[in-house]
Amino acid sequence: MAISPIYALRETGQNLYRNFMLSFATIITIGVSLWLFGGFFLFNYAVDNATARWEGGIEFVVWMNPDATPEQDAAIRAGLDDNPGVERSTYIDQNATFEEFKELFADTPEMIEVVTPDVLPPSYRVVPSDPDADVVQELVSQFEGRPGVRDVVSADETIRSIQQQADEISQVFLIGSVILLLAATLLILTNVVSAIRSRGAEIEIMKVVGATNWFIRIPFMLEGLSQAVLGALGAWVGLYFLNTRVIEGLGDRDALELMQGFRVSDSEYLSTSLLVLGIAVVVSGIGSMVAVTRYLDT
Amino acid sequence: MIKLENVTKVFKGDVVAVRDATVDIAKGEFVFLVGQSGSGKSTFIRLLNREESPEHGTIFVAGKDISSLGAWKVPYLRRNIGYIFQDFKLLPKKTVAENVAFALEVIGKPRHVIRKQVPAILELVGLADKIDNYPNELSGGEQQRVSIARAFVNRPLILLADEPTGNLDPQTSVGIMKLLDRINRTGTTVVMATHDRGIVDTMRRRVIELDRGVIVRDQARGVYE
Repeated sequence: MAISPIYALRETGQNLYRNFMLSFATIITIGVSLWLFGGFFLFNYAVDNATARWEGGIEFVVWMNPDATPEQDAAIRAGLDDNPGVERSTYIDQNATFEEFKELFADTPEMIEVVTPDVLPPSYRVVPSDPDADVVQELVSQFEGRPGVRDVVSADETIRSIQQQADEISQVFLIGSVILLLAATLLILTNVVSAIRSRGAEIEIMKVVGATNWFIRIPFMLEGLSQAVLGALGAWVGLYFLNTRVIEGLGDRDALELMQGFRVSDSEYLSTSLLVLGIAVVVSGIGSMVAVTRYLDT
Repeated sequence: MIKLENVTKVFKGDVVAVRDATVDIAKGEFVFLVGQSGSGKSTFIRLLNREESPEHGTIFVAGKDISSLGAWKVPYLRRNIGYIFQDFKLLPKKTVAENVAFALEVIGKPRHVIRKQVPAILELVGLADKIDNYPNELSGGEQQRVSIARAFVNRPLILLADEPTGNLDPQTSVGIMKLLDRINRTGTTVVMATHDRGIVDTMRRRVIELDRGVIVRDQARGVYE
């Protein structure tokens, strides 16, 4: 005969109520660990999205001196046009550079007031045929130090730096979340064992009168599952704020050119949320199953 | 109804609780298990309920070999066997009715069946007026009646009782025995471990005596010793 849903819910509720403090601690631990776990994924998605627009796009910029002669400028232009490693290049003159400057420093008008287009360097935004980092580096070295060239900046280096830092931050998220998930699993186990022990007399009677093992187990497993799902709901709230306040906030900052595109798509956000819920179910399943199989033997 | 063939149960440290026991108990019999403390009476009862498994021998209950019964089938065996404890084992936070209903609820009986059977069994054990009382509001005898009601509410084929009068005064014990006798007359097989000489000698039912795990006497209409 199947377990009555009313019975299962009533018993689960009683178990949670009896161990209220421990249950609360477990839910918080699960929530924080899942938030870190989900944060790891959201952060990686955002970094991938932010850097994706650079890959296959502008790979390096040749900054000219503002006072470079027309001959020097022509030599660089010819060097780019004739170079088989360059797919295309775009010249940004001093007026266009000034427009970009005004956009970047829109929040500080005093800066804009003291700068004029003639002091800003024009540049060539270059897209190489082959986006391989070594090939790009070889191209960069061909233009560095040439007459009229102020500096050559490879976006690849910047992206690498961002990705490296993002990787380090992600690792901290991941390691922290895994440790906390282990702690959460142990807390669920402890919680269920505590509930089993506090109901030892009832369990003894249940066994004697012929309740099946699953009938006895289900309320305890539901207790673990409820804690995990409540923790996942808490993590969802945290992930919502991480996405809308932190990630989207960084992506909206005009001053951070490279951070534009630092966003998470709806499908990525949804898949992360579902993954968090799935992990919660797995964690509760492991914790509860170990507890009931070890402490509820026939 | 119950048949043991050369059953031996050994605990850790080579402690033999039951040695080479062979017994046949018919349907509707009332059997007293007697013997000193540690003679193996409780183990004998626990073997019938599959709380323990024998090292050797075979145990048949209602025609089924329970010594080789799969673990998942044990609960279904126990639904045919009522169990009465010496210390009642009532749940203190449940009322009399809830304690009895609990036994039906946890084997998945529908609510309408529970609502019908619980008052009927409490009427049978003489506690119809105590239905909403908690165990701590009852006397020892009344608590044992609730325990019997819980064991019998599912109308099992067999009732096992491990010293059910051990915590009760003689007068109350008589009441409990009258109740068990009444249940036995409905065709339920009763196996009862006891130290109560007066009860055994008065009722004159079959007596099986154990001594250090060995059946030393099996006597129809017997006495304590």
